[in-house]
Amino acid sequence: MRLKFKWIFTLVLALSMQFSFAQEKTVSGVVSDAGGPVPGANVVVKGTKNGVQTDFDGKYSIKAKAGDVLVVSYIGTTNVNVTVGASSVINVKLVSSSQSLEEVVIIGYGTQKRAKVIQASKVIDNSAMENLTVLSPQQMLQGQAAGVQVVQSSGVLGAATVVKIRGNASITAGGRPLYVIDGVPLNDLSFSNAQGGQALNPLLEINPNDIESQTVLKDASATAIYGSRGSNGVILITTKRGKKNQPAKVTFEQTLSVSRATDLLDMMDGTEYRKFKTLRGDNPINFLRNDYDWQAGVTREGVSRGTNLSIAGGSDKTTYYIGFGRSDQQGFIIGNKLTSTTGKISINSDISDKIKVGANLSYSEVDNDRVGSENSTFAPLTAAYLQSPWISPFDATGSLTRLAGFIPNVIAIEKFDTNKAKTTRAFGNVFAEIELFKDLTYKADFGVDRLLLEQKERSLNINTPGGSGYYATGIQNKYVVTNTLNYEKSINKHSFSGIVGSTYEQNDITNAAVSAINFASDLQLNVISGAEKQTTTSSTQNSRLNGYFARATYDFDSKYLFEVSGRRDGSSRFAENRKYGEFWALSGGWNIVNENFMSNLEFISDLKLRGSIGTTGNDRVGDFAFFPLYAGGVNGAYNNNPGFTNTQPENTDYRWEQSKTTNLGLDVAILNNRIRLSIDAYYKKTTDLILNIPIAGSNGFTVIAANAGSMENKGLEFDLSTLNVDTENFKWRTTFNISTNKNKVLELPGASTGADGNRFIAGTNQRAIEGYSINKFFLVRYVGVNAQTGNAEWLDINGVPTTTPRDSDRVIVGDANPDFAGGITNTFNYKNFDLNIFANFSYGNNIFVDGQRFTDNLANDFNKTSKVLDYWTTPGQNAYTPALTSTTRAIFARTSTNQLKDGSYLRINNVTLGYNLDSNIFKESNFFTSARIYVSATNLYTFKSKELAGVDPETTSTVANLGQGETFFTPPQSKNYLLGVKLTF
Amino acid sequence: MKNIKNILFAVSALVFASCDNSLELAPEDSLTPTIIFSTEALAGNAINGMYSSMQSSNVLSGIPDTMGEWQSDNVEFVGSFPTFDEIYTYNTLSDNTSILNIWNANYFSINQANMIIKNVPLMNVTTFTAANKDNLVGQARFVRALLYFKLSQMFGKQLKQDPTGASLSVPLVSEPFQGTVNKPSRSTLKEVYDFIEKDLIFARSTITNTAKDKATASAANALLARLYLYQERFPEAIERANDVISAPGITIATNYAFYNATSSEHVFQLQNIAGDSGFAESFSKLYSPTANGGRGDAPFSPNLRAAFESEAGDLRYSLSRIGVDAKNRSSLFTTKYPNGLANTDDPNILRVSEMYLIRAEANFRAGTSKYDTPVRDLNRTRVRASLLPLTTITSLNDILVERRKEFCFEGLRRMDLLRNNLPLRSSAMDNFSKSQPNADKVVFPIPQRERDNNPNLTQNTGY
Repeated sequence: MRLKFKWIFTLVLALSMQFSFAQEKTVSGVVSDAGGPVPGANVVVKGTKNGVQTDFDGKYSIKAKAGDVLVVSYIGTTNVNVTVGASSVINVKLVSSSQSLEEVVIIGYGTQKRAKVIQASKVIDNSAMENLTVLSPQQMLQGQAAGVQVVQSSGVLGAATVVKIRGNASITAGGRPLYVIDGVPLNDLSFSNAQGGQALNPLLEINPNDIESQTVLKDASATAIYGSRGSNGVILITTKRGKKNQPAKVTFEQTLSVSRATDLLDMMDGTEYRKFKTLRGDNPINFLRNDYDWQAGVTREGVSRGTNLSIAGGSDKTTYYIGFGRSDQQGFIIGNKLTSTTGKISINSDISDKIKVGANLSYSEVDNDRVGSENSTFAPLTAAYLQSPWISPFDATGSLTRLAGFIPNVIAIEKFDTNKAKTTRAFGNVFAEIELFKDLTYKADFGVDRLLLEQKERSLNINTPGGSGYYATGIQNKYVVTNTLNYEKSINKHSFSGIVGSTYEQNDITNAAVSAINFASDLQLNVISGAEKQTTTSSTQNSRLNGYFARATYDFDSKYLFEVSGRRDGSSRFAENRKYGEFWALSGGWNIVNENFMSNLEFISDLKLRGSIGTTGNDRVGDFAFFPLYAGGVNGAYNNNPGFTNTQPENTDYRWEQSKTTNLGLDVAILNNRIRLSIDAYYKKTTDLILNIPIAGSNGFTVIAANAGSMENKGLEFDLSTLNVDTENFKWRTTFNISTNKNKVLELPGASTGADGNRFIAGTNQRAIEGYSINKFFLVRYVGVNAQTGNAEWLDINGVPTTTPRDSDRVIVGDANPDFAGGITNTFNYKNFDLNIFANFSYGNNIFVDGQRFTDNLANDFNKTSKVLDYWTTPGQNAYTPALTSTTRAIFARTSTNQLKDGSYLRINNVTLGYNLDSNIFKESNFFTSARIYVSATNLYTFKSKELAGVDPETTSTVANLGQGETFFTPPQSKNYLLGVKLTF
Repeated sequence: MKNIKNILFAVSALVFASCDNSLELAPEDSLTPTIIFSTEALAGNAINGMYSSMQSSNVLSGIPDTMGEWQSDNVEFVGSFPTFDEIYTYNTLSDNTSILNIWNANYFSINQANMIIKNVPLMNVTTFTAANKDNLVGQARFVRALLYFKLSQMFGKQLKQDPTGASLSVPLVSEPFQGTVNKPSRSTLKEVYDFIEKDLIFARSTITNTAKDKATASAANALLARLYLYQERFPEAIERANDVISAPGITIATNYAFYNATSSEHVFQLQNIAGDSGFAESFSKLYSPTANGGRGDAPFSPNLRAAFESEAGDLRYSLSRIGVDAKNRSSLFTTKYPNGLANTDDPNILRVSEMYLIRAEANFRAGTSKYDTPVRDLNRTRVRASLLPLTTITSLNDILVERRKEFCFEGLRRMDLLRNNLPLRSSAMDNFSKSQPNADKVVFPIPQRERDNNPNLTQNTGY
């Protein structure tokens, strides 16, 4: 075994090394980083004092022999060693030090040297994200880190995203991670209307281009310091800053892209529809002939533009970063547009050698011209699927007209009606840091997150008789005060560090909405003009969080590392005597690579063993869920008199959900970090699950909240990055991650008991069942159409075929959670070209295509999929659909495993080909320092099961924990082709 | 420099100091039961909340009553909503979510009533007199009776199909929810009827309220009259109907302007006004053609049109308009609930015309003429509709036909047929055989979800 390894290593070494002969010559080239040429970088011949600095254009020239090693270094980046070969031109690309062992890694309330990090975390820096055209920070994480699952809920612009770190740690409370941007925990409550699908992504206001890196905190040692909010993992977003001693660097980027739907269902046209209706026995006298292709009518090629401009720089005391972004996106669904304008400024200054101050401030406006989706007949795509294809949106004169029936004229709606959500958000922080004594620093940080949401709808007379108007505002006002004392000390080989701090968060939300109908004229735009007022509401939501936290670390000689952290949190969300909770974590690490016995194993550049145990909580529940409520307002009022309705029973024992996580990790790097591997294994047990326990409706309520139940998640995560080929002209890097997570519901006391004796929490088609994963599908098994009888057949509870399935025949089948999921990125650099191919995958999960209840329904008048025409006529025939005369015709489309599909997929998520113009071109020009042109394709191709034809495998019709992996006409992801130019000055 | 340090220390000491008090937040617009049941006025507001909860289209504002009309012969369903279609075509399944919503919403309202019935008598407020307390409790008990009466009609067999009354009806819950989850089994129809009767007898003698947007003593009498008619306790039905007819402020209207208006015609009329919530899928939405903001789901059935056309000149037939239905055809729709945009039309829970027809039917079937002759009572609504008065009632059918024309779209038809052991549809209509009074799918299923969470519930046959 060992021999074999040695052999492989030798081969790898041979492949990557350049052999040449010693002869001194002048080597020159350009040192650059992701942002262009780097002035002031050091280039030294290894083992000599022979060294130079790069000039203003990043150029250097040095005498060296073939076989010499040049060491290129620059603040904030990893040193690069290049062996001088035959060529006398060596261009060096520096990688920002986030991949370096000496790198400083962002952790909760502080930083740590990577070599000393024993928390399970993963840093995704902007180099991994820079080729991706994304609208939100969550999208940048997709497929980039083991154990982080990102699902875009739909292809509608600004759609919500489901981010899961290490599976679901909750059933009915929120399961999404905490987002912290530059130390400020963000509000990520969506308070836009769902409009049939999901509310908008609450982090749309963050310009991904302003993000330097995102750190995903996974185990308790990393998240316990976030206490009551750590259970679902934490994502630390660090925004860009200027670098010290850097002349102003201006980066300008412009993109142009087109997008279209990845995959749509194949529905009947008018001719097929009439044929089907005739065969079904409908009277042709009622048939219409105004055929129209609704799918084509509601989709288009969306054209989008993006502009980003940033200026960064710094003196020896002060750094600055100014960013501006503008994006005009057009979705592939008619009427869907999103315009965002963002500005950001960051200043950091050492005002004395003991005091540092800094500020980050972002301001953004996102103007979203929305379309409904999924479970709404006003959603263009849903309506296009279901509208009878013999109905036209136009009347005899060719004008758009109001349509009778359940499904409105979505083309007229998108053409005439207004449906907008506009957010204005300001967020950021100011801080001051002062060195009180040697090694002891005090830091005060004040953060704000202020958001204004305006939703405006106006339906004109053609779509709503008399017209209707709606206007709503939501104002969120959050501030966070954090004080910390930080201590660091090294004595000989002993290093200590400690932090204690307190934080107070206050969050106040005010919502108001008005609506009216019956407008005199379509020209009147506001609610005031509607004669009949409908709603007038205003309401508030308030929460407070008080936290005290501490962390201490100790290490001996960077070999043996220990860490302990804890937090005490108090929250207004929990019952009187349950407001406070304590959370803690202990961890240890062994840097084996620093042991003497490793010194002769030079090919191993890193070897570290990590272990941790700790607890965290989850506070993602609504405010006042424990309070006994008699609600006033519209719910209680009767006939112009105020009233109160008893809407919630009291729960005096309402408290946090708690998760206890054990984590074991191993970091290995060999061949000077050319191959790096991190492996983590974890076990997370969540107790005191807040369950909305369904109860018999005869109690007066259908659910009660209770802390009951427990659940476990266990899994394995692998993150691998390799530099496969590293020659002067050609480089090939691969990063790969894969993870498994097994979720199991352990106990659900108080929950309903099924006929099979299992206790469960019911979703519509899924159940969280004791002993199984939380996302188990619970359905009647569909067999198929009996070739002899032409009847559709299901299995009853005993496995016997039946044509009259009942709900009591439902069994546990399928799971919405994948067996494993991950991503792989290959980056090729050849001379000035670079090619980046990123694919993400998911295997072993099921998708429930709920829309099939309608598109396969043989009894009603909605449009159907074309495959329904494959119906049974003669004995011996294998048909998809039962005989149109069969008694099972009416129930063929009932929920069953016929709607349950294999959801495994591999998606070529992004392919980018870039060309960096030779820097020599700019020699004459004092203006540009670099230029890059690139083309990119997003969601280029998806490998998936045949039965998913027309259905996007990346889908979910809910962001809740229960109900994942279901689609009800969810608009698919878009396929984008993009052309971009990036210039630096 | 030293000063800065001191200031920072001071500031940090301040901020580090606990902000415990700030965690004691309370909702800004909701009150606790303790506060609600601390003053007479707030307890009265809880009564308003109880009526408010019944504005839901799942309780009194449309869906349950319309479902009854769909099952019988008055109204077609031409929409596409699968859960409604199931009921119309007698393919109802136990997972029908519309039925589940009805179940849950009714019990939600019953819990509002139970909160009042339980808590008001315990209030220790000296100025709150026993009579005033009883006025509130009486209204709550009326509401509870009304809802159990309606539930019993949907979820179990009726007396005529099982005269013993031993058929399973709905679970009777008489205590408010206080945190203990109950899994009650179904009571028999007899138990439910006894329970309703007790509540109504209490209500008729205690309610002092006379405003007709809420329960009154007359409303309790009217509901008792209906209960006794369904139980074929004719003398008692006559007495209670007569109580209503002779009550002050209640007289039969001279024309049909009483719909969606205050009128002496009404005994109890739920008031839906713009701005109140819950009735999005109300009578108005279902019964209005698309041009009037409705869904165009529920036009006149050809059978009902034929019934009207068999005797020309009926003004009640003119309470209609032609409009485009959900199938894009031209159909006839009722104008009893004309506002499909705002959905604010008022459900007609009890009107005096029904009392005359109850008195007529009970006298006719008992062979008596107490307070007035059956034919004279019958002719009051006929004459108002500009039909010629009958000289004699030849059969019960005369009364049923009159009731059909007077109360079409108001949800009484289904019970009129079932309590006389008649099929819900006539033989020429679709699903005639499935609409026989003893057929399985005439009765709604106990919702699957309810049985999932309460194993003590037996399912109705056929589900």
